[in-house]
Amino acid sequence: MGFLNAVRSFIVVFNYFCMAFTLVLSFIYIIQLFVSLFRVHRNFDKTFSDDFLSYVDSDNLLPISLIIPAYNEQENIVQNIRSLMKLNYPQFEIIVVNDGSTDKTGELVVNAFNMHKIETSIRYQIPTQKIEAVYYSKKYPNLLYVQKANGGKSDALNAGINISKYPLFTCLDADSRIEKDALLRLSMEFIKDSRTVVAGGIVRIANGSKIVDGELKGFSMPKKLIERFQIVEYYRSFLMGRVFWSASNSLLIVSGAFGLFRKQTVIEVGGYKKNTIGEDMEIVVRIHRYMRKNRRKYKVKFNEFSVCWTQGPMSLNDIRSQRRRWQIGLMDTLISHAGMTFNPRYGFVGLVSMPYNWIFELFGALVETIGYVLLPFTLIMGELNMFFFVIYFLLSVSLGVILSEGSLVLEQYTHRAAMTAKQSISISVYAILENFGYRQLITLFRMEGIIKYRKLRKTWGKIKRKEFEQ
Amino acid sequence: MKIELISVIGLLLCLLIIGIEYILLYRLAELQDEHTAKTENIRRRLDIHVEGVLYAPTDSSRDAEITALTNEINGEYAVYEMAVQAIREHNGSSFSGDDAAKEALIERINAQVDPVAMYVKMLDEGDVYHKGYACRRLADLDAQEYRDKIKEYVSSKERDLAYNAAMALCEMGDVYEVAQYLLSIENDTLYSGRIVNEFFAKFTGDRGELAALIFEKCNKYMKCTVIKTIAIYKLDRFRPMYLEGAAGDDNQMKIACIKALAAFGYPEDEQLLQIAAGDKDWVNRSSAIRGLSLLKTQTALNTVKHALGDKEWWVRQTAAQAITRMDISPKDLEEILGGYDRFAADAMKNVLYKTVE
Repeated sequence: MGFLNAVRSFIVVFNYFCMAFTLVLSFIYIIQLFVSLFRVHRNFDKTFSDDFLSYVDSDNLLPISLIIPAYNEQENIVQNIRSLMKLNYPQFEIIVVNDGSTDKTGELVVNAFNMHKIETSIRYQIPTQKIEAVYYSKKYPNLLYVQKANGGKSDALNAGINISKYPLFTCLDADSRIEKDALLRLSMEFIKDSRTVVAGGIVRIANGSKIVDGELKGFSMPKKLIERFQIVEYYRSFLMGRVFWSASNSLLIVSGAFGLFRKQTVIEVGGYKKNTIGEDMEIVVRIHRYMRKNRRKYKVKFNEFSVCWTQGPMSLNDIRSQRRRWQIGLMDTLISHAGMTFNPRYGFVGLVSMPYNWIFELFGALVETIGYVLLPFTLIMGELNMFFFVIYFLLSVSLGVILSEGSLVLEQYTHRAAMTAKQSISISVYAILENFGYRQLITLFRMEGIIKYRKLRKTWGKIKRKEFEQ
Repeated sequence: MKIELISVIGLLLCLLIIGIEYILLYRLAELQDEHTAKTENIRRRLDIHVEGVLYAPTDSSRDAEITALTNEINGEYAVYEMAVQAIREHNGSSFSGDDAAKEALIERINAQVDPVAMYVKMLDEGDVYHKGYACRRLADLDAQEYRDKIKEYVSSKERDLAYNAAMALCEMGDVYEVAQYLLSIENDTLYSGRIVNEFFAKFTGDRGELAALIFEKCNKYMKCTVIKTIAIYKLDRFRPMYLEGAAGDDNQMKIACIKALAAFGYPEDEQLLQIAAGDKDWVNRSSAIRGLSLLKTQTALNTVKHALGDKEWWVRQTAAQAITRMDISPKDLEEILGGYDRFAADAMKNVLYKTVE
C-alpha cells in the first residue's frame, strides 16, 4: 500500500513537473521567436545597403579554403566539386580530403580533373594521420586532392586545415550544395566584425528542390511525409534557434554542412576533436571555452541569408540513425565541457546556453519519454484529470504550432523563400501534423541516443542519399 | 477552477495567435508570389526593350527604343538597375565585349531616365538603409551637385548610413570629408582597419593628399594602418617617413614601414631590407624577402635562398614563391632542391610544380 502511494505521489509530482517543464520551454521558445523576428527583420533591411556584391574585388575579402572530407562519396563528389568551382568568390581553393575511401572516390576525382601527384611541404599544425599523397592540376589550380589514411571526419578536416593556405576555411559535406553567393554573404560577417571567428549559414532541405550549380531552380513538395516534416523542423531550428543564440553570442553549434572558421583560432584550440561524432558542435563549444578563458574578444555568428542545401534522410531508419547521432554528439560535447555549465567565467554561454542544452535539448527527450511511459499508469491509477490532460496536450501542440508557423513566417520574411504561397500554406499543415506521431518518434530516437551513448559514441553510420536533381 | 479557466484562456489565445500567423504567412507568401510574377513580367518586357536598344539599326531608331525603355522603367530604380545590368551583361550584338560602348549607351539612357532624380528622391524619403544606398548610387552616377547633400549624412549616428555617405564621397574624390570621417573612427580599432583599406581602394582623388591629411592629425594605430594600406600605391612623398619608421624602435611602425619600403623595390633600400630580413619579427622578415625579390641582385638572391630555411613557415613559403620571380640559375635551383634543408626543398618543389610548365 505504501509502495503504491509512493508511486502515485511520484506520478502526480512528475505530471506537475512535466507541465512546468513544457511551460518554461515554450516560454523560452516564444522569446526566441520574438528575438528572431526582430533580428531577421533588421538584418533584411540592412542587406539593402550592405551591397555585398561590391566586395568581390575588395582587398578586405579574405580568401577561403573549402575543405571537403570525403569517405566513400563516389556518387556525389565530382558533381559537388564542379558546382563549387562556380561559386561567386574571388579567391578560394578546394581541398578534397579522401579519408581512406574504399570505393572509387579518389580515382574519380583524379581522372575527372586531370590531377597529378606533387611533392609539397605540409605544416602539421594539428596532428593527423599520415598524408599519403597530394594531387594538383594545372588546369584547375585552385583544386587540391589529398589522399590520407583513414582517421575519421575530424582527422580529415584537420588534415585539410594543415594543407590549406588561406586564413579562413569552411568545412563542407560532400553531399551538400552551397548557393553561388553564400560564401560572399558569409564572409561579410568577418569583414563587418573583425572579432568574428566562426560564422554559420542556414542549411535547407533540398528534397524536392531542383538545385543547379548552387542555384535553386524550382521547388516541389517532397513525396514522403518525413521529408516534409524535416523542412518545417529545419526552418524552426535555423531561423528561430540559431538566430536567437547568435544574437547573444552564445551559439553552440555551427552546422557541419556549412560553417566558416578563422583558421588560426581553430589551430589555437587544437583543431577538430577526434573520435567524436559531434565534431561540429564540439569545436564551437571549445572555441567559446578557449576565447572566454583567455578573455579574448570574439564573435560566433549566424547568417540566415547564406544558404546551403542538403539532402535530408528519406527513410525512417535513416532519420533514426541521424537523430540518434545528433543526440550522442550533443551529449558527448556537453559532458566534455561540463565544467562550463553554470560557470560565470563563461558568461552567457556558461550561465544560459550550456544549461539550456543540458536541460531542454538533452534531458528534454528523457522527460518527454518518461511522460509518455507514465501516461497509461496515470490513467490506470485514476490520477489523470481528463480535462487537464486534454487542455495540456492541446496547449503544448498549439505552442509547437505557433513556433513552427512563426519560423515559416520568418522564412517568408527573409525573401529567399523557395515556396509559393500555396506551397507555404500546405507545408504549414505539416507544422500541425508533426505533433501527432512524428515528434514522438523523434523523441524516442533521441532517447535511444542517450541510452546507447557509450556504445555508439564513436560510430558514424551511413545515411543513404540520392543524387541532387539536375 | 481558476487554473482551468486560465488554461482554457491560454489555449484560446494560442489558437488566436496561430490564426494570426496563418493570415500573416499567407499574406507574406502571396506578396512574394506577386513580387516574383511582377519581376518576371518586367524582366520579359525589359529583355525586349534592351534588345531593341542594342540591336537598333540607326541612331534615331535607337532613340525611339530608349524612349520606350524609359517608359518601361517609369521612375522605378529597381527596373532601371535591371535594365543597366542586362546591358552590361549582354552578349551578341555589336556592343558585345565593348564595355566603353555599353557605358556610352547607358549614358544615353540616363539622359532620358534621369536616375539621379530617382536616387535623390530615395535620399530624401527613404529610411537609413535606403538613404545609404542612394548615396552610393549617386556617387556611381557622379552626381557631384548632390555632394553637399551627401555630406550631411557623414556625421550620422547610424553607422551604416555614415559609412555609405563617406564611401560615396570617397568615390567622388572628396579629400577633406573622407579624411575627417577616417579620423573620426580612428579609435575604433575593430572597425577602422577595414574601412581604411576600402576607402583607399575606392578613392578617386589624390591618395597622397588624403594620406597626408590623415597623417597630420591621426593616432599611431591609424598611421600604421594607412602606411600598410597605401604601400601598394608606392607613394614616394612618404619615403622619408618610412625610412625613419623602419629604423625606429616602435615595432608596429617598423612592420608598416618595412612593408611600404619593400613594395618600392628600390636598389637604394637593399641594405635596409637585408637587415630587415634578419629581424626578430617574422612579419618583417617576410616583407623584406618580398622586397628583395624585386631587386634580383646576387646578394638579394642569396638572402632569399637563406630564408628558405627560416624557422617560420610563412617566411619559407614567401621565399619559395619569391625565388621563382628571380633570375635563378639551374645550379642554384639544384642546390636548393638537393640541399640539406628538406623543408626548403619541399617548399620550393611545391611552388615549382604549380608555376613551371
